[in-house]
Amino acid sequence: MPEPMMGKIFDEFPDESEWDVIVIGGGPNGLIASAYLAKAGLKVITIERRYEIGGGLATEEILFPGYYSNIHAIYHMMVDYMPVLRDFDLDRHALLWTKPNSQTGMVFEDGKSLLLSRMAEDTKDSMMKFSYTDANAFGKLMWSWRKIVDDILGPATYIPPMSPLDITMAMQKTKIGQEMLELAEQSPLEIITDNFENDRIRALLLYTSCMWGLDPRETGIGMFVALMLQRGSNKCYCEGGSHKLAGAMVREISRYGGKILDTAEVTNILMENGRAIGVQLAEGRTLRAKVIMSTLDPHTTFFDLVGTENLPGDLKESVDGWKYDKWSYYTLHVVSKEPPQYKCDDPWINDAFMNIFGLDGMDQLLSHWDNVVAGKIDMNNFGGHATCESYFDPHLVHSPWGGHVSFFQMHAPYEVEGGWEKVGPELEDAILTKWQKVAPNMTRENIVRKCYETPEGIEIRLPNMRRGAIKHGDYKPIQLGCFRPNQDCSSSATPIEGLYTCGASNYPGGMVLGGSGYIGANKVAEDLGVIKWWKPTKEMERYIKTYLE
Amino acid sequence: MAQEERYDFVIVGGGPNGTAMAAYLGKCGASVCVLEERPESGGACENVEPMPGVHINPHAVYMYAGPAPGFEQLELHKYGFRMNWSPLIETIAKQQEVGVLVSDGVAPITNKDIEGWAKICGIASDPPFIKELLRATHWCPPHPPEVEVTAENIPYMQVYKKHAPDIWTEELLDMTMFDLLDEYCETEPWKVLTAAGAWYSGAAGHYEGVAVPAIAGEALVTVYSGFSVPRGGMHGYFHAIIRCALSHGVVIRTCCPVDEILIENGRAVGVRLRDTATTDEKKVWANKAVISGTGIHPTFLKLINPAHTSSSLRKKVKDISLKGGCCWVSHFLTKEPLMPRAKFLGPGRMEPGEFGGAYPCDSRDIYYEHVADVDGRKGAPSVPPEKLLWMATHSARFPESDPQCTMPGAHVAGPYYTYVPPPDYEAGGPGTIDHKKDEVNAIVRKAVSEVIENLDDDNLIAHFVSTPWESEFRNTGILAGHFGGIRHCADQWAELRPIPELARYRTPIEGLYLCNQTSGHPGALCLMAIPYNLMHILIEDGLVEPGKWWYPSPWYIPQEGKISAALNSNEGESYA
Ligand SMILES: Cc1cc2nc3c(=O)[nH]c(=O)nc-3n(C[C@H](O)[C@H](O)[C@H](O)COP(=O)(O)OP(=O)(O)OC[C@H]3O[C@@H](n4cnc5c(N)ncnc54)[C@H](O)[C@@H]3O)c2cc1C
Ligand SMILES: Cc1cc2nc3c(=O)[nH]c(=O)nc-3n(C[C@H](O)[C@H](O)[C@H](O)COP(=O)(O)OP(=O)(O)OC[C@H]3O[C@@H](n4cnc5c(N)ncnc54)[C@H](O)[C@@H]3O)c2cc1C
Repeated sequence: MPEPMMGKIFDEFPDESEWDVIVIGGGPNGLIASAYLAKAGLKVITIERRYEIGGGLATEEILFPGYYSNIHAIYHMMVDYMPVLRDFDLDRHALLWTKPNSQTGMVFEDGKSLLLSRMAEDTKDSMMKFSYTDANAFGKLMWSWRKIVDDILGPATYIPPMSPLDITMAMQKTKIGQEMLELAEQSPLEIITDNFENDRIRALLLYTSCMWGLDPRETGIGMFVALMLQRGSNKCYCEGGSHKLAGAMVREISRYGGKILDTAEVTNILMENGRAIGVQLAEGRTLRAKVIMSTLDPHTTFFDLVGTENLPGDLKESVDGWKYDKWSYYTLHVVSKEPPQYKCDDPWINDAFMNIFGLDGMDQLLSHWDNVVAGKIDMNNFGGHATCESYFDPHLVHSPWGGHVSFFQMHAPYEVEGGWEKVGPELEDAILTKWQKVAPNMTRENIVRKCYETPEGIEIRLPNMRRGAIKHGDYKPIQLGCFRPNQDCSSSATPIEGLYTCGASNYPGGMVLGGSGYIGANKVAEDLGVIKWWKPTKEMERYIKTYLE
Repeated sequence: MAQEERYDFVIVGGGPNGTAMAAYLGKCGASVCVLEERPESGGACENVEPMPGVHINPHAVYMYAGPAPGFEQLELHKYGFRMNWSPLIETIAKQQEVGVLVSDGVAPITNKDIEGWAKICGIASDPPFIKELLRATHWCPPHPPEVEVTAENIPYMQVYKKHAPDIWTEELLDMTMFDLLDEYCETEPWKVLTAAGAWYSGAAGHYEGVAVPAIAGEALVTVYSGFSVPRGGMHGYFHAIIRCALSHGVVIRTCCPVDEILIENGRAVGVRLRDTATTDEKKVWANKAVISGTGIHPTFLKLINPAHTSSSLRKKVKDISLKGGCCWVSHFLTKEPLMPRAKFLGPGRMEPGEFGGAYPCDSRDIYYEHVADVDGRKGAPSVPPEKLLWMATHSARFPESDPQCTMPGAHVAGPYYTYVPPPDYEAGGPGTIDHKKDEVNAIVRKAVSEVIENLDDDNLIAHFVSTPWESEFRNTGILAGHFGGIRHCADQWAELRPIPELARYRTPIEGLYLCNQTSGHPGALCLMAIPYNLMHILIEDGLVEPGKWWYPSPWYIPQEGKISAALNSNEGESYA
């Protein structure tokens, strides 16, 4: 660094420093891990590549100037369970969570609609328009799935994974456990088609079950249908935007002495005698620590930062075989003078947190997904979901022109036939046409500003979301549970001494679950022998007592 | 029922001033709550990534705060503060090399220009006294009302008298910066460049009686920090401040707009939040004081019930001049990097990558034409594009590890600034210019194309713009989209900023203090200066007792009958 002509002006963060714990990546998982460990009295630093922490928790002014959007995570599905919100008292004051009763609408071009509500009876009312049988089946299933989620899947999100054999044995202990095992064996498609007859109801439920990346035809992941439908009906919005959760975590980290370094890219994990001992940053600084926790994807952590030469053979092999998400997202963000008004038979649709459109039935949905997985987008056959964010959050608009911010989001391949440069603008146009069909006021005159983000864009913002992988890796049986990211690392410790992994590519997986960061913090606290100031939540304790003792 | 929210201090607005104030107070052991209207604190210290990998800085860019006591007092290095030093920091000769942009190419900067400049900035002496000079202009509270302000006690005059008695004359107080430059420097383009630079940093080159503050404003960014930026931009520096505050227990709430400052029996006792605020309890109480970190206009004209202020005070506040700094801010996203025309390049001139500065600096007539156009309300911009005065920030300020653009096949340049009239003063009514945004953008691009050869439609991917009107809406602290909120003229400087009655950050309302660029000396820039200066006043009023880390300004004069902020301090240590 050059020496200023007047000599040193002020002190800067040191070129070399020592810590107890270094956390790589300031996404939800990294921030959660840091907060628990900082409060436990450890000297913790979180290192974030971007100028702003948050990773997938990003509320940013992409429709510049004056309009903020939640560019990544917006639907928070685990608010009812996340230990971090309770352990740090993160509601009412620091954060306000809204859970709209109208959760997910599906609007059809003929003016009909379906609405999944927080309250199952409201959903049943809506389904009755199409099928009494389905409505009642839904009521029954949700009743039992709620127990599966409350008693098992919810709390298990925050407890290190078990082997399939151990799960089978543990679940035999209760009737709900047995039901879950049965469910697990089926594919989402089987579950939906076996239980529901109406095509549109099937489409809505299949979309909701698989939208976060389940393969509809894959067996062995059926319990996720219960989880996704149950949690998909309980999505919360973080008032002020998802980034507020990141900001609240930074406050807790700082308050307990933890430090954060942003605009700091880790380029190298320093190794000594087979042990991870520190990190090197692109800017040249080095930091050393007893423990390094990486929240990045397996390729970045093990190949780019540790280096293949430092990996045991089977770890190298498993990282090599890691599969990124089967699809990513294309999102069109718009500012409109008026919020979208959907023309359909149910006025509650306009209050819904998410509205799906473009898809008329299940076959169409499946063929759309098949296209996406094959790297194609058919301009005449696609669908997705939209949210008018400012309808829930006045804080997103700071412009003399007023108006509303909304987005439309759809599954999309990382590599698209024709290339994104060509497909991007074409798709934008096709979406606007489609949107106007269901919401006639979404005319070109009503839309005053717009921009779209492709899977490539996701990767540019967050390179650890390789190939636009929002969960840092696909959901398939061999990449879930104790196999996420592999059997050696799924409980956070890795075969490399001093190195832990705790991002979305670890058990329980992607999305803002707060699972892997929490599990990582527990593991590191145990290994460093510090007293855990926190206790498992009541639900977790009940689960541990019922199934693990 | 939610629990009652009660703190020692409640701060309205989490911009750099409000937040640095919170850090100071937190460090004194006080309980503090900052309420910020927007989703992100930082006020005008912000980064935006409107497209993946495209980084723009709609407002603050450069580090001006170098001399601030806050770096030591708040120990920002512990909170991740780092700089991206520009190569221009090393020698003044390097700054001299790039020359000045004029319509027929590059005008050289002569040795006399540099020597004269170095002399008045306090770097020609051995040892240099620039740090002291800059601290004297910016980091010292205005003198108390009972003290007559004279050439003997104005802080910067004391510094000149001590270190450069040959510069010191009483006339310094009557000069414009142009007058001073005429005395010490040589070439017209250099004078125009520095006068324009000063205008973009505080007092302008043509304002009467603020020659030294104008020089100092400019020197903060040129010689003192060599056009460097913090890592992560000014928002990165802000992060160090906010994390310092948080680590001292300060509570910061975003998306919590304050709608009213609550006053009981003539005393500010707390604030009422807008109903949409993202916290359950909509009133936040202050035991000791409410500090307004938002603009002077909103504070007195919106947040305080008129029953608690006199109509004459409100009238005076309304009349504060917002002219002289309303920025039309552009960033260009292009396929090829912007390339200056051949006549601006070459040996002894700028390198393409180092491009930055004001244009056209031919003569002060161009500068005056701009003044007439913008602040004389001729209608802006009415000068032809080839004469439009604009300012480009240096493109070389980003190191490889903190790039401005990571979008493949694209380049970002900016911000480019040009002044336009304050929205409320526009000929044709408020915000008229916004309705011809595309037209004005085209004029800006045409003006920039006088220097840049490839800012054409083929090359341009996007032109991001924030108009003053839009700036004010996205940040209510940025009154009129003015980089400093209100004009930095002699009548709004030091003991007179923003108006004499409010100059020492106190208000007629007990327990209400001001801490925003528009409401106190030294005004604009992210300097941690207003909070530092206000600390003196809060100590005077017995509201805080800082520890040994605190030192006051050596030129500070305590107010009669108050506790002196200079007691029990380490005075001298850090000024030695
Ligand atoms: C478009 C989109 C929509 C989504 N919608 C939802 C939703 O509605 N609900 C939901 O729950 N989830 C959603 N997600 C998914 C969710 O955001 C992620 O799964 C989640 O953020 C993962 O958290 P994490 O902490 O493991 O990693 P991340 O959030 O990916 O954070 C990792 C961090 O590491 C940083 N980093 C990368 N490389 C380096 C390096 N070399 N050195 C230092 N730091 C580095 C990154 O900048 C990033 O901040 C969405 C994601 C996307 C992209
Ligand atoms: C175009 C431009 C370029 C600039 N360039 C530089 C530069 O290079 N270097 C530099 O140092 N400075 C620069 N500045 C100046 C600098 O950004 C400002 O001087 C500085 O941000 C002022 O800080 P502040 O805290 O006083 O006010 P602000 O930054 O305006 O912060 C006020 C805060 O209060 C909040 N607020 C307002 N009303 C309310 C309310 N009712 N309730 C709750 N919150 C509220 C606002 O949202 C805002 O966050 C520039 C400014 C502009 C506009």
